[in-house]
Amino acid sequence: MKGMSKRYLLAAGCAVCVGLGVFGAVQESAAHKDPHDAATLKAFQDLFMEQVILGDRLFHGDPEAQQEMGVNLSKTGMACAMCHPISSDIHPHEFPKFQEQMSEFATLRDMVNWCIEKPNEGEVIDVNSEAMKALEAYMYWSNKGSVLDPGRH
Amino acid sequence: MQKKQPHDNGGSRIEISRRTFLHNTLLTGGAVAGAGLFQTFTTMNVAHAAAGSFSFAWVSDTHLYPKTLNTRFIEKAGRAFKEIEEMGSSFDFMIFGGDLAQKGDPVELQLGVDMLAEITSVKKHFIPGEHDWYLDMGEAWNRHFGESPWMFDHKGVRIIGLNTVGFAPDYWTAKGMSPKERMGHMEALDGSQAGPWSGLGREQMQWLSTALSDWPKNEPVIIFSHTPLYEVYPGWNFWVRDWRQVHEVLAPYGNVTNIHGHVHQPLYHETDNARFIGQLATSWPWPYPPTGVPALTRPMIRVDPGDIFDGVGWGTFDVTDAGVENEYKMWRKEVFAVAQHDSGTGDNGNQILTPRIADRDWTGN
Repeated sequence: MKGMSKRYLLAAGCAVCVGLGVFGAVQESAAHKDPHDAATLKAFQDLFMEQVILGDRLFHGDPEAQQEMGVNLSKTGMACAMCHPISSDIHPHEFPKFQEQMSEFATLRDMVNWCIEKPNEGEVIDVNSEAMKALEAYMYWSNKGSVLDPGRH
Repeated sequence: MQKKQPHDNGGSRIEISRRTFLHNTLLTGGAVAGAGLFQTFTTMNVAHAAAGSFSFAWVSDTHLYPKTLNTRFIEKAGRAFKEIEEMGSSFDFMIFGGDLAQKGDPVELQLGVDMLAEITSVKKHFIPGEHDWYLDMGEAWNRHFGESPWMFDHKGVRIIGLNTVGFAPDYWTAKGMSPKERMGHMEALDGSQAGPWSGLGREQMQWLSTALSDWPKNEPVIIFSHTPLYEVYPGWNFWVRDWRQVHEVLAPYGNVTNIHGHVHQPLYHETDNARFIGQLATSWPWPYPPTGVPALTRPMIRVDPGDIFDGVGWGTFDVTDAGVENEYKMWRKEVFAVAQHDSGTGDNGNQILTPRIADRDWTGN
């Protein structure tokens, strides 16, 4: 399974355990989940950062990461990071919004595919693909703390 | 003496600069059409007194890939070179300001050599960029274009070309990087492995001091460098790491202009005795850094990423008794934003950025 890892399975396992705990407690209280322990939280965070790092590699044009994910994000030698160093000038916190280049109301994922197809002349990816999720994870992580302002031009 | 910092927007010189900018824009009429392209005059007058008027051209940051991979940057570099060749008789010389190649590859550099050979109507001078250097540590570059730094005097101005890219602290030996890996880490503007690679180094600093030592303190000096000789945004090496020492060396000289590439965007900054003017790339525009853009910079208008000729171009400089006038030869009608929401820096206050992570702990493949 592409993009899956031991950490992913560990985090999924933790989530299942937490879920079972909740299910077991439904009769007593449906409104609460069992508290997450430190190991579970770390597993969630490790999974997230693994996706961030994968997204970083894709964003910077790493050929091995692209091969691993079965994507071809550019045919020009250009990578996302060449126009967006440290993910700058993407403003993921401003989506969704009307995007002039596309003449439509767009999500961040729509815009990612536009950049892959137009400036990079690469092959667009499924908006729900593992590669798209990793790219999204990297872009949001590297803009962490930015002010949420959807719709802003 | 208190030095102005990039964020300092107080003081009379700033008002003069803005007024002069407006004055010159009115004089030159804003935009005129010629030879199928729009030429937007974007002037910044600085108080110089040259012995004779002259003009020169600046072109840099072509970032050529091999023809088999990408002809887009070749097309734009070729357009700039052709325009310079056609205007060659109006220039006393031209500067190529570095980053001719993308990966320092011999094929890329040879392509650049061949394309630059098409410019025969004007004398050419060269300084390197980091993309030209770190595959073979400047061997091919120096063989093709000669060593730097260099200097010459021209019509009452001391002209200096620096090498601000070739003296990076060694980030490759201890980690056993191959030449391609060394170049790869240098190639990423936001990479974490190459560190503060931009600087003059001790020897070149001494050379600069000596090169200026016999020059009258009130006479104009123009210094070309790939990277800016002040601190804009160290994370992208929009600086030289030893800029404080550079400013100390330059402090006795009252009329200093630094013209630089690397930033792929208009930037403008002044200190008490110097002004610093950032130039366009022909290849592609960088976004403005999230912090550090000097207060005197009039930001470039937001670029359309679907138009490969937007936000790029080359530059001309006219040196007269009245000052130095810079014109950005951007291949679109507009250069500067009028409203903040159309500016390349308009959203900077709304974004908080974290440096990349995937190469932070690189220990080799």
